Amino acid sequence: MTVSHARVLGLTVLVLALIAVPYALPALGANFWVNIIAEILIWSLLAASVNLLLGYLGLLSFGQSLYFGFGMYGVALSINAWDVGFWSALAIGMAAASVMALIAGVLAVRLTWHYFAIITVVFSLIFYFAAMSMKWLTGGDDGVSFTPPPVMNLGGYKLLLTDPTAQYYVILGIVAGCFALMALIVNSPLGLSFKAIRENDRRAALIGINVYRTRLIAFVLAGALAGVSGALFAFFGRYASASYMFYHVSGEAVVWAIVGGASSLLGPLFGAGALIIFRELVSNAWEHYLIAVGVITILVVMFAPRGIAGSWNDLLHKAFMRRSQGADPNKPAAVIEEPR
Amino acid sequence: MTASGTALSLSGLTKRFGGLVAVDDVTIDLESRKLNAIIGPNGAGKTTLFNLITGEIAADSGRVTFQGRDIVNRKPHEIVRSGISRTLQIKSVFGGLTVGDNVRAAVLAHERIMTPFRPVSSYRAVAARSNDLIEEVGLSDHRGALASSLSYGDVALLEMALALAAQPKLLLLDEPVCGMGPQETERTVAMITGISRHTDVILIEHDMEVVFDIADFIMVMAQGGILATGTAAEIASDAKVQEAYLGSPEDD
Ligand SMILES: Nc1ncnc2c1ncn2[C@@H]1O[C@H](COP(=O)(O)OP(=O)(O)O)[C@@H](O)[C@H]1O
Ligand SMILES: [Mg+2]
Repeated sequence: MTVSHARVLGLTVLVLALIAVPYALPALGANFWVNIIAEILIWSLLAASVNLLLGYLGLLSFGQSLYFGFGMYGVALSINAWDVGFWSALAIGMAAASVMALIAGVLAVRLTWHYFAIITVVFSLIFYFAAMSMKWLTGGDDGVSFTPPPVMNLGGYKLLLTDPTAQYYVILGIVAGCFALMALIVNSPLGLSFKAIRENDRRAALIGINVYRTRLIAFVLAGALAGVSGALFAFFGRYASASYMFYHVSGEAVVWAIVGGASSLLGPLFGAGALIIFRELVSNAWEHYLIAVGVITILVVMFAPRGIAGSWNDLLHKAFMRRSQGADPNKPAAVIEEPR
Repeated sequence: MTASGTALSLSGLTKRFGGLVAVDDVTIDLESRKLNAIIGPNGAGKTTLFNLITGEIAADSGRVTFQGRDIVNRKPHEIVRSGISRTLQIKSVFGGLTVGDNVRAAVLAHERIMTPFRPVSSYRAVAARSNDLIEEVGLSDHRGALASSLSYGDVALLEMALALAAQPKLLLLDEPVCGMGPQETERTVAMITGISRHTDVILIEHDMEVVFDIADFIMVMAQGGILATGTAAEIASDAKVQEAYLGSPEDD
């Protein structure tokens, strides 16, 4: 077995486990956890949007909740106003988030480091307060609720989100699709230019990459991911609320991405999964559980800076590399494939 | 290949940092098909001159004419695309990527390929050209190694491959053998002279032995301005040059 075999095996197990959730968990008497896993899947997309910027371009955004909020309201408002179908509403949510990201990105990606982080927060705060005060449109804190349209209408048979199992699979399918697209992107020429900018933006410009435009493309893609996340969350909760545009939502996504492992594709899923499960287990018993989350985050940053996914990859390499190195003594120790 | 023309023409090029005039009204035509070298004591403004040519620093005044067009203050990536590549005094590559990905990124950027859904590995021509470049600079044994794991000399060679990936008409090299051992230096010097046969090269170099050995034309800078120009023999016997070098003992 090689590292990539182990990876494929791990991914297969993960996918099968996620597919089994709506049947396996109720059989174990844990119905409640089906929705928790669905929620984890949704939030993992928001964490993935942080990861796309942080892990692949080296840009730390503390404002992804803005695009999450646009995704939510895109769905809720378009369904209430125009009675659009499920997929149209999803597309509108994603498009609204992307347009907002384009507008904010035109300014934000001129900056890097803490300046970038600050401007992303500022943007999200401006729109958070605007959304909170525009109650006639957004419902402010209370939000606006809506009735989700059927996902599909096959000759009289309606696939409805009111069926928890159907809802779970719809969410799983869309989230898996987003991760698959992201996998394609990070391994494409566009993705390689992202990584080149992350590694050395000066050299990136000197090989002819338009650094500004490339960062803007990534920022819009990240906004679209956050938008899909928000749209799904709106469908999941049947409402949209301005409170999800607050920066603590962005901050949580940053924590999930870092704990899960920035610059690894599935890291955000593991990070969101681990910390949301931790929250569900601990928060009822201990109201200050966030202190523990903080400690966990600090420990990860200090001792496993590549997060859960990075540590897992390192483990695989330790387990399988020795053999392959023995087979090929010419390979230097640092021969590794692009970390995923 | 065209007969001799102008590789690059600078006119009144000036850059101030606060009160310091780092590049002071530099006017010169550098001939094509020659290996041009720029020497001068530390702080003379050589690197800043390159930064102005490549658009990384905005000029206060003056013109940079390349292939009949004024390129001063255009964006660095546009200048690269117009045919000027460079290496940096502090060697600069993509440390966290493999040697192969470093060069592939440069080849893709040169070909302006930015597609989002097709894997990099499926671009056969890009892979072939990357491999040629890696071979050309002698890094074939390190293709899969992370750039950050390379020795200093190998990083310089990789950087050279990145610069060559853009198929430059003009290559600017900022102290390419600085920090190299004698063997690496010899290899790199041979490579530079090889490149200069088909590509215009402007070389900043501290190592006088190297410069006098390979340069066809030398421009000496001091305090932002041009102190002297000429062949190696002319420069070696120039009194002003000797004075400038004796006057800066910290220069190595
Ligand atoms: N970005 C900058 N900001 C301020 N001063 C600079 C900058 N870059 C270079 N300088 C100054 O300009 C002068 C010329 O520097 P440089 O071009 O690096 O010299 P050289 O390459 O000939 O050693 C030096 O005095 C240096 O300190
Ligand atoms: Mg210098």
